[in-house]
Amino acid sequence: MEAKDILVIINEIGINNIFFKIIIIFFAIFYYFYALVIAKQVDTMNKALQDKYNGIILFITSLQVTVSLILLIIMILNVVFV
Amino acid sequence: MENNNKKSSAFYSYCLNPQIKFETHEEGEKIYLLLRSHPFTQIKWIFSSILFFILLFALNIFLKNMLNMGQIMIFNLFFIVFILSYIWFNILNWYFNVGIVTSKRVVDIDFYAVLYKEITNAQLGKIEDITVKSGGYFESLFDYGSIFIQTAGTEANVEFNSVPHPSAASQIINKLLGKKHGS
Repeated sequence: MEAKDILVIINEIGINNIFFKIIIIFFAIFYYFYALVIAKQVDTMNKALQDKYNGIILFITSLQVTVSLILLIIMILNVVFV
Repeated sequence: MENNNKKSSAFYSYCLNPQIKFETHEEGEKIYLLLRSHPFTQIKWIFSSILFFILLFALNIFLKNMLNMGQIMIFNLFFIVFILSYIWFNILNWYFNVGIVTSKRVVDIDFYAVLYKEITNAQLGKIEDITVKSGGYFESLFDYGSIFIQTAGTEANVEFNSVPHPSAASQIINKLLGKKHGS
C-alpha cells in the first residue's frame, strides 16, 4: 500500500475537521519527542545495569520510536494533503 | 551466601547470584544479590492501565454521536498508544530501580521517573547499622519491606524500598559484613 492510498482512505473516512487535525498533530509531535527521550534514557539505563533482558528492552524502545515516527508522518501527510 | 533459604523469586525481583553488570562494577567484584520492588507494589499502575482501557471503551460509546468514524479511529489509536506508553514507562521504572549487594559494597541504582539517575554506594567496611522495616497487612502477606543501611561518616545512607524477603536480604548483608570485619 502506497502513501497515496493511505491518504485516500483517511480522506474517505472523513478526518477533515481542522481543529481535530491541529490537536492530533500536536500529540503526534509530543509523542515522537517523548519516545526519543525515553530511548535516550533507556540507553543510559542499559549502561547503568547490564542484564540479559536489555536486548528485549532496547527492541521494545526502538519499536516505540518507530511507531511514534510513523504516527507523526501519517498525521503530517493528513494535515498537508487531505 | 549460596545456602540462603530464600531462592531467586518474585518475578525477578529477588535474585541470588545474578548474572549482571553495573556501571561502576569493578574487576573481581562478585554480585550476591539483586533486589527490585516487590511486584505487588506495582499493582497500582496495573489497575490504572486496566481502568484506562475501560475508560476508552466507555468513551467510544459517547464519542459515536460527537465525532465521525475517522476521528474516532484516530482518537482510539492515540489513546491506545498513550496506555501502552504508560505501561512501558512503569515497567522501565520498576526494572531499572535496583539494589545490588556485592562482595565489596551495597549499591542503590535509582531512576526517578526514568529521567533522573542516582547511584548510591556504601562500602561494606563503612556500614554501621541495617534496619529492616516491614509492617502492614500486604507487607506481611507477601513478605516484602524496606531495608535501611546506615553508613559511617559522610557516606550516603542506602535505602531499598519494598523489596521481597527483606530479612533474608539483610541476613546476606550481615554475613558479608561479618566476613569483612572478621578478615
